[in-house]
Amino acid sequence: MILAFDTSTSHVIAALLDGDRLFTRNEEMGRGQAERLMPLLEEILLEAGARWQDITRIGVGVGPGNFTGIRISVSTARGLALGLRVPAVGVSTFEVIHHGTPQAEAAVPAPRQQVYTCTPGGTPVLIEPHEGLTLPPAGAAWAAAIARVAAAKTPDQRPAPLYVRPADAAPSKEPPPVILDDAGIGAPNDT
Amino acid sequence: MAEPLILGLESSCDDTAAALVRGRDVLSSVVEGQNSLHAAYGGVVPEIAARAHAERLDLCVERALDEASVTLADVDAIAATAGPGLIGGVLSGVMMAKALSAALGKPLIGVNHLAGHALTPRLTDGLAYPYLMLLVSGGHCQFLIVRGPQDFTRLGGTIDDAPGEAFDKTARLLGLPQPGGPSVEIEARNGDETLYRFPRPLLDRPGCDLSFSGLKTALMRQRDQIIADRDGLTRADRAALCAGFQAAVRDVLAEKTRRAIGLYMNETPTEPAFAVAGGVAANMAIRTALESVCINFGIRFTAPPLRLCTDNAAMIAYAGGELLAAGVSHDMSLQARPRWPLDRRAAPLVGHGKKGAKS
Repeated sequence: MILAFDTSTSHVIAALLDGDRLFTRNEEMGRGQAERLMPLLEEILLEAGARWQDITRIGVGVGPGNFTGIRISVSTARGLALGLRVPAVGVSTFEVIHHGTPQAEAAVPAPRQQVYTCTPGGTPVLIEPHEGLTLPPAGAAWAAAIARVAAAKTPDQRPAPLYVRPADAAPSKEPPPVILDDAGIGAPNDT
Repeated sequence: MAEPLILGLESSCDDTAAALVRGRDVLSSVVEGQNSLHAAYGGVVPEIAARAHAERLDLCVERALDEASVTLADVDAIAATAGPGLIGGVLSGVMMAKALSAALGKPLIGVNHLAGHALTPRLTDGLAYPYLMLLVSGGHCQFLIVRGPQDFTRLGGTIDDAPGEAFDKTARLLGLPQPGGPSVEIEARNGDETLYRFPRPLLDRPGCDLSFSGLKTALMRQRDQIIADRDGLTRADRAALCAGFQAAVRDVLAEKTRRAIGLYMNETPTEPAFAVAGGVAANMAIRTALESVCINFGIRFTAPPLRLCTDNAAMIAYAGGELLAAGVSHDMSLQARPRWPLDRRAAPLVGHGKKGAKS
């Protein structure tokens, strides 16, 4: 039984995949994902008549997308993996798109009208949008795809956010002062 | 019955930490710092800190379990810092704690990071309520009468910067490595504190409030003056600037502590005690000055050991244990809060915009 979820954009989505049974949740949400995620996961378990201990694998969306949103899900997935002693598998939104359309140039909306894109097996980049890009599916299909990709993947590393963009940070602009060599100044024999 | 075993998580600034505590026994306390990640930027970069927390917290929990020789099944409750602090890191800790709580079916307790610091003297020295606390670090500076795990009275605090920030800024201005506290202290040992005289802000006003931003500016002006005169700083200048700056911080903290103790003693506590915690409490000049104030009043002085004085998860686990004993636990909608003052009745000193008091 695989529990999958994603908060990498303004939604909380989840899927519970148990053989041929599939339950999904899709809530649009600009704020409050951190408060909503766990209750939503409990609701989906309840609907399926399952308990946390029935979960055998976690699938988690690792982005790219909203940095804070991605970390909300990744931290939750790593905590559940630790507590339930099951593997957690990170699934990128590119993998979600390629799950439905394997040859697509997958694209995820980024800030300032740009897109993160990735060809199958390629390296993600941040570019201006162009024709012929394939965007992520709607929430329920997105969550189900995370579960299915996670089911097929070898869980060989812990899920980690796919940021693509480096952290916004500029090195300190203040240059340190020139330190004059004054060996001897202030020493007892200084005259 | 044995006291509950609490797993604590801390991720509100630039230390990722996990600890296991039973009663006053710290079974393990893992703290993974991030100094090298932030070194090039002259201060903690929130996004860089958040990225590190998200990928380190579970590893710290595993290490803490190993070092304590226990398993998650032995844990009775999970306590995590839920604020105040850098929200990206706090969120990682809160989500990890929620997930562990759900997976293990054990209570979740959201802990105020400042309460963690403020309750540490009970963990380390078993102080009885009420005691007087000076919380002094890179992000905080306040005097609190600690009456219970959720009952704090703030007597005063900084109206602008925390002294730890001022130490960091001083180090940057003088070309010394970060974190600034230890580098400035080492430098100050070789300096003449009377050579450059810095202001003692707010000593001319009644009360226990403090201010350190003017001191930073005074230091910068003095430095620029020396550089203008000689095209650079000599090592002796630098040591004297550090000594003069440290002396000003020391004098201000000592005098305000004297006033805070006066107010605290008006309540005639049965076991009067003063505790200082936070990174700045590691500064020996400051610590010695505070200790002598306490000796003059004849009250007990305590300062938790440095590893429990700076950010750590043992204090969060301990505070979580006190809250649990008081019947406090939280559900899965627990919020991570960037701002969360300990004393909600006191007028805000810093960050009193529409978002409310910072701490």
